[in-house]
Amino acid sequence: MKILVVDDDEHILRLYKDELSEEGYEVVLAVNGQEALELFHKEDPDLVTLDIRLPDIDGIQLLRQMKEKKPRLPIIMSTAYDYRDDFSIWASEAYIVKSSDLNELKATIKRLLGRE
Amino acid sequence: MEEKRRTEVLLNSIKAGVITLRNDFRILSINKCFEEWMNMKAFEIVGKDSVEVFHKDGEICPHCVAKITFETGEINSIVQTRKSDNHLELTSYPVKDENGNVIESIVFVRDVTEHVRCQEEVIKLYKEVSQTKEYLEGIIENSEDAIISSDLNGVITSWNKGADKMYGFTREEAIGRFLPFVPSPLIEDEKESIERIKNGEILKDIDTIRQKSDGTIIDVSLTRSPIRDAAGRVVGISCISRDISEKKRVELELIRRNQELSRLFFISSAMRGTLELDRLLRMVLTAVTMSDGLGFNRAILFLVDENRNVLRGAMGVGPASPDEAGQIWERLSMEKKTLFDIMRDIEEGPSRKDSFFDRLSLGVEISLSEETILTKAVKEKSPFNIQNVKVEPLSDPVLIQQLGTQAYAVAPLISRDKVIGAIWVDNHFNRRLIVEEDMRFLSAFSNHVATAIESARLFEQVALTEQELENIFESMSDMVYFNSKDYVIKKINRAVSEKLGKPAEKIVGKKCYEVLHGTNEPRPECPHYKTMMTERAYVEEFEEPFLGCTFINSSSPIFNSSGEFIGTVHVARDITEIKKLQEKLVLSERMAALGEVAAKVAHDIRNPLVSVGGFARRLEKKLDGNLKEYASIIVNETARLESILNEILSFVRGAKLEKEMVNMNELVDEGISLMKSEFDERHIVLVKEFAMSHEIYADPNSIKEALLNVLTNAVQAIGSNGTLFVNTYMSDDSAVIEVKDTGKGISDEVLPFIFDPFFTTKVSGTGLGLTITHKIIEKHNGRIEVESKVNRGSTFKVFLPLKR
Repeated sequence: MKILVVDDDEHILRLYKDELSEEGYEVVLAVNGQEALELFHKEDPDLVTLDIRLPDIDGIQLLRQMKEKKPRLPIIMSTAYDYRDDFSIWASEAYIVKSSDLNELKATIKRLLGRE
Repeated sequence: MEEKRRTEVLLNSIKAGVITLRNDFRILSINKCFEEWMNMKAFEIVGKDSVEVFHKDGEICPHCVAKITFETGEINSIVQTRKSDNHLELTSYPVKDENGNVIESIVFVRDVTEHVRCQEEVIKLYKEVSQTKEYLEGIIENSEDAIISSDLNGVITSWNKGADKMYGFTREEAIGRFLPFVPSPLIEDEKESIERIKNGEILKDIDTIRQKSDGTIIDVSLTRSPIRDAAGRVVGISCISRDISEKKRVELELIRRNQELSRLFFISSAMRGTLELDRLLRMVLTAVTMSDGLGFNRAILFLVDENRNVLRGAMGVGPASPDEAGQIWERLSMEKKTLFDIMRDIEEGPSRKDSFFDRLSLGVEISLSEETILTKAVKEKSPFNIQNVKVEPLSDPVLIQQLGTQAYAVAPLISRDKVIGAIWVDNHFNRRLIVEEDMRFLSAFSNHVATAIESARLFEQVALTEQELENIFESMSDMVYFNSKDYVIKKINRAVSEKLGKPAEKIVGKKCYEVLHGTNEPRPECPHYKTMMTERAYVEEFEEPFLGCTFINSSSPIFNSSGEFIGTVHVARDITEIKKLQEKLVLSERMAALGEVAAKVAHDIRNPLVSVGGFARRLEKKLDGNLKEYASIIVNETARLESILNEILSFVRGAKLEKEMVNMNELVDEGISLMKSEFDERHIVLVKEFAMSHEIYADPNSIKEALLNVLTNAVQAIGSNGTLFVNTYMSDDSAVIEVKDTGKGISDEVLPFIFDPFFTTKVSGTGLGLTITHKIIEKHNGRIEVESKVNRGSTFKVFLPLKR
């Protein structure tokens, strides 16, 4: 199972990669929107976690674009700040506030990939 | 012998007495009937002298009747009376020899008692009739009434003294002439009447006129009937005439006075009832044109326009053409409406009926600087009657051209010594001459109505001003209302009823605190109460939770003319929207700033925290001993920091309210669905009981947030395995959301503090959840109540107002 993790914070990318790899996932990382879209096409991930605040294209835009291409692809919105005012967020399968405790994230991924 | 026998039998069978006498009056024979009648036997008297037998006893005497027959040779008949009541007719027939000499007389005796009686009756009747006739003739002769008879051609056949007196003709002059007292224009009528009487009609109590011998006209009442002969054929005409000139004069005078009085009464009652100028003018003009009224064909009311120095047609009443005139008159005579009915129609009907003539009249304008009859009437305050416009040089050319008038009259309308206009009339259609009497009444009428018109005019000006004020009052977007001293709302404008969403009649007359504040008694912050206490005007910003509005309110006391405080007037501007916009503006500015800060904080602090915490967790797993412990401390501390960050960020977001009408049950359902996975995870059974759906005015997001906080709280109180009850219902004027858990409950010591910021009994979290909830509910003018028993569970009740 391949997971695309999009975040502009490299430490967080590293943390996610280490943690998720340990769970047995193949993890690809994108540090901005542009990279994320490229990898989305190239790597054909089974699941995407999207940070909302990115330097170029914001996460909600990415969510829309990816969902247009692959409506059934599970996407987890992972954010540092609550952006709930924009209801497009509900297009995603899950919404998670970033936390040092990755258990919620892992559980959500598991659920969405039907590994439970 | 046989012959003689037969004759005897024949004679005896006749039912009448038969006696034969010889010409020396000796009795030759009598028959059986005679024997019986006279109670005599034939053998006793036959051969005797009839004079001896009959003449002496004063009964019947055949001798007396036969005597003439013997002398003249003629049949003779006499009636004789026996025993005073038995009348017998004796008839003698001569029996002659071959030389023509009377030798015998046969006398037949018949009982004619009945005949004689009848005759006597007739004679008696005749005497009576002739007496009656004399009596009647006496009456006729001496009657004050003229009693006349004529033949079927109208030629006088009898004439009494009364007729002498009434008509001035003597009997000799009148008899034999054709109706000498009928004025020549009525002769045709009279002939018609004669025809009718010939056909048997009786013409009773007909009022008409007659002409005396000296030419004067008198009013008479006639009763004419046919005279019939014995066969019932009409052979003549009788006529009884009575002079009613005097009666008529008195009667007319009475009617005229009565009419005048009643018209004046109408006008004054109309005046009292009608302050509407148009209606009044129409009433006046109708009174002028109705046949019950002054009876003119057309009338126009001119009013003086002082600003433009003109006389302006204000209204006209009358038919447009002779055809229309005919139709109107016919209709009016069919409807039989009285002046009163029509006045009432005008008073109650539509205020203006535009007729052609009315429109024509409105266009008529005459400059007061011109010298015409109309302007003269106004300037000289005097009426004018123009019999012929061609002869009068000052006749108004406008009226002649536009109205085609040929003769007219004008009367000025004078109110309090000021001429306010004039009434113009004419008889264009029936050409009736306007006479002195008409003028007298027109002037009297004009004087009478002028004051009324002036009043109505003034009233209309006041009404117009009032209407303008009313319009301004009504169309003001600010709420304006008047209160009396006793808190009763006396008057409101449309804005008030729109704001309250009720028709005016459900507001006016009610207590202000009931309608405006939704309370049962006055509130100390009520603008009316405050104004009443201070009797001073003031302006303040005023928040009315009952209406969910904020107002800028200006209140002032009202004093009556004697300076006594009688009520208050309030002008309130709803600034809720403005306030909202302002708040929004401030908020959005603040939020923009805060959002920026928050996003920065989130990004710049949360991200490092996640990294620090995340890697610390990894270290924690890999390390042992003291180092593991250190890593754990980092893990816990970053977790605490993250948690504080979450609370703060959502607290910032929750401060923004965007209220709208939302369905409460749907809102609660949405809130519950967000918690669904949580319930499932913790094996919590949800029991919902929703009342009929109700709309509330609220910000759905914040209410959801509040609900989520309450639900989260309940879920945490339960932990796992329990039941959660969520009910909605109405209580008074609130919608209630009730969340009841079967959790550990809250102790009495803690209960008062649960809404305080940062108060928490939980290991995790900042304790802001219920504080935010409380804040949200408060912002909705609602309240939150908690009941709790340790180990039994807690019940949270959120009350939200149903009204805006």
